[in-house]
Amino acid sequence: MSLPAAADPGVGAALEPPAATGRPRGYGRYALGKVAGSLASLGFVLVVNFFLFRVLPGDPARTLGRGRFTTDEQLDAFNETYGLDQPLPQQFLTFLGNTLTGDLGVSLRYRVPVSELIWDRLWPTLMLVGTATLFAALIGIWLGVHAAWRRGGPLDRISTSASLTVYSMPEWWLGLLLIAALSVGIGPLPGLFPTGGLRSVDADPSSLAGVLDTAWHLTLPVFTLTLAYLADYALVMRSSLLDEIGEDYLTTARAKGLRDKVVRNRHAVPNALLPTTTVVALNFGFVVAGAITVETVFSIPGLGLLATEALEVPDYWVLQGVFLVASAAVIVANLAANLLYGLLDPRVRT
Amino acid sequence: MLLGGLVPVLMPVAAAAEDGDEPVRFTAAIMNEVDSFNPFLGIEVESYEMWALTYDFLVDLAVDDLAVEPSLATEWETSEDGLTWTFTIRDDVTWSDGEPLTADDLAFTYGRVLGKGPERATWGSWLAGVEEVTAPDPTTLVLELKRPNAVLPLVPIPIVPEHVWSEVDGEEMKTFAAEPTGGQPVVGSGPFRLVEGTAGGSTYRFEANEDYWKGAPHVDELVFRVFKSEDPAVQALIKGEVDYVEGISALQVKSLEGQDGILARNAASPGFDEIAFNAGSIDLETGEPIGDPNPAVLDPDFRYALGFAVDRQRLVDTVYQGAGSAGSTIVPPFYEEYHWEPPAEELAYDPDRAAELLDEAGYTLGDDGRRTLPDGSPIGTLRLFARVDSATSTDVMTYFSEWLADLGIDSEVTTVESSKLTDIILEGTFDAFEWGWFVDADPTSMLSYMTCDQLGAWSDSWYCDEEYDALFEQQGAELDHETRVGQIHRMQEIVFRDAPYLLTVYNSTGQAVRSDRFACLQAQPSPDGLWLFQQGTHSYRSMRPADEAGDCDGATDATEASGGGGSDDGGIGTGVLVGGGVALVLLLAGGTLVALRRRGTAEDRE
Repeated sequence: MSLPAAADPGVGAALEPPAATGRPRGYGRYALGKVAGSLASLGFVLVVNFFLFRVLPGDPARTLGRGRFTTDEQLDAFNETYGLDQPLPQQFLTFLGNTLTGDLGVSLRYRVPVSELIWDRLWPTLMLVGTATLFAALIGIWLGVHAAWRRGGPLDRISTSASLTVYSMPEWWLGLLLIAALSVGIGPLPGLFPTGGLRSVDADPSSLAGVLDTAWHLTLPVFTLTLAYLADYALVMRSSLLDEIGEDYLTTARAKGLRDKVVRNRHAVPNALLPTTTVVALNFGFVVAGAITVETVFSIPGLGLLATEALEVPDYWVLQGVFLVASAAVIVANLAANLLYGLLDPRVRT
Repeated sequence: MLLGGLVPVLMPVAAAAEDGDEPVRFTAAIMNEVDSFNPFLGIEVESYEMWALTYDFLVDLAVDDLAVEPSLATEWETSEDGLTWTFTIRDDVTWSDGEPLTADDLAFTYGRVLGKGPERATWGSWLAGVEEVTAPDPTTLVLELKRPNAVLPLVPIPIVPEHVWSEVDGEEMKTFAAEPTGGQPVVGSGPFRLVEGTAGGSTYRFEANEDYWKGAPHVDELVFRVFKSEDPAVQALIKGEVDYVEGISALQVKSLEGQDGILARNAASPGFDEIAFNAGSIDLETGEPIGDPNPAVLDPDFRYALGFAVDRQRLVDTVYQGAGSAGSTIVPPFYEEYHWEPPAEELAYDPDRAAELLDEAGYTLGDDGRRTLPDGSPIGTLRLFARVDSATSTDVMTYFSEWLADLGIDSEVTTVESSKLTDIILEGTFDAFEWGWFVDADPTSMLSYMTCDQLGAWSDSWYCDEEYDALFEQQGAELDHETRVGQIHRMQEIVFRDAPYLLTVYNSTGQAVRSDRFACLQAQPSPDGLWLFQQGTHSYRSMRPADEAGDCDGATDATEASGGGGSDDGGIGTGVLVGGGVALVLLLAGGTLVALRRRGTAEDRE
């Protein structure tokens, strides 16, 4: 569980000149280096995405038109309309130019601008995965702290084995179980939650009732994902706090007569939080990538689902757009973690 | 617990919607998004269904037998040479914004398809041979053709209002959404109006058109909800969140059979699956063979013989779980009139007959128990391809491989993505693969896939036959219906005997409806066909709440077999139950927590 190393993207590090002196550099220079590295990563992703998806087998016109486009003429009309008849270098230049001006192209399947499509699908994903990540982090840290502090106690035993059990369950299966139990209802238990979707047909999304309705729809999927993510945080927090428990400064604190709770919260936990911070920061970067299986089970129109389905066509522009946004999120989260580290721990700047 | 606490706050919101004088709403679960509400752009079947609800067509297809019947066109006549078609258009149809629908709207719509751009890509083949479309007066539409077109008067292109769409130019058309804007429904003439929904979205809501010229629908609202997995959709049906589920697996249909208030079945649908051979992949420029098909699969006698080694009924029973029926020719019996059924003895599962035919054709058994080519060299291993994205493909090919082994022919099955398989087919580097087709209301497109013209395009078996091609041309221009049907039968016979395809199964679609709530859905074709996703909007117009069903105004009720009656609707029920359940959950959770704490402190004390 030694994840801190992952906070350095490697790309950023490679671009920096080797430090000539052992003296810590200024924060400005450190930050600049990291930002430049992140930009380079983004540029790299942009180029790779284009060619990566062109290597995919299949031809959009043929996938979409199977059984519909019966003449060559129809195939040509489709390819011409969406610029697929152009030579690849030409398409690449168009793609670069468009992306730089903020135009992500038009989806071959849905025939709407990709940026609109991503915007529509971003919110469900953020609400689902973001909320679940937040809950999992908060509850996980709480569980980890308490489990480690009373190592071998009932909470430790129960939470460690329970979170490991849930962790090893496939998310979709957990989701299906929850639907069967809490949505349809078992025995005397009534169906409390909807089986899927984001909102009721009548709900006005802009009203308070509409917001509550969406929260009601998201309860089960968020619960599923929170359970699935929980172990990650609980275990990291638990093990890093255990590392601290034997330290001398805690003995000192106790010797000063501080209450057990204060020793834990003021002295031990802050020092043990660093690895968990890394995990949280990284996972927030991955929020945008969505949670494909849970989105599928609960029929939540998120980015994960959008990307998976775009692969079938392959819908080049959608794939490029989603991957760009997802990579950008990870790179930004990574950058944020790096910048934060530089502030928290000056040793990192060397 | 945090989350559980929200429930009592939220429940009243949903519960309130159940009370009062609610509009009658029919909610259907579908498994795929609408890809576009613009009828010139979309391709998915879900989109076709939405357009059919929104717009009208030149002619319709009857619910019982799919025969052409009048719709916007009340009658039509053809010139002697078949090059001029004159349609009489109804004068009593209005668009939802009050404008009258006239022949000009039809001429405009067809004109767009005859032009360039996506309109042509989507619909061009249906107006094959049409040179000019004119509307000399508001009730007359004239099509001028270069060559006769036997598919007419069937033109399944949704008619859009000229006064709205004339403002959409060629460039705009590429992304024109045709969705409700600013609270205004989409302008259409059909039985329902789209009031809410976007392409790729997960809910689509329609309101009934009370003034529909064929009669007002008996439900006030239609809602389509997209489910991305089947289990929750079926659960939603059982719970009562939805009234109908489309496209569920045979296993789910079985599990729903016998449920109170639910009718589920595998409805016959117009598609088939087949094992296709490489009948001769060639380079289109030079005519030279490309790829590396095994010499054996190039021989029609070899392929035909293998047909006796395929136990179709077994595939239906085991691989397809009883959904579907044994396949025979490329035009399914769904289109009864066009379908040609081979003699029963040629469809029989008879491995001995297969062996006998192989012996006769020179593929005799060698000393090692393996069959050889007529020149005495070993056949080698046949490369069979299956599709990873199909639940049945790999199983079918595994069976086929075993049946081949029983005959003394080696083979190996490789499973690939459909898109990858498309590439393999075009390269000709295969001996056989498993795939299927969906067949249009007119068999022309399906028949065209087997012509030499389609090599390198949609022909996936590389089949090419002169007599077949000649017949294809003839039937396309044959204006005498009986003669045309005869030609189409003969074409199926040729393909059946040359066997580039061994049809395995005619498909079905799993459909289930809450028959305790809704009645009077019709099956197209009757009695085993589709309840929804038909050609036309028959069921949407005839369906009504079960307690108002009566005699369905004389329409056949394909859902009347229901045991019916009074099962608890299981929906978001009474507040008491809900509140109680939540309290119980909270109590349990709280209790556990307290107990844990207690034990924790008790241990500390020790």
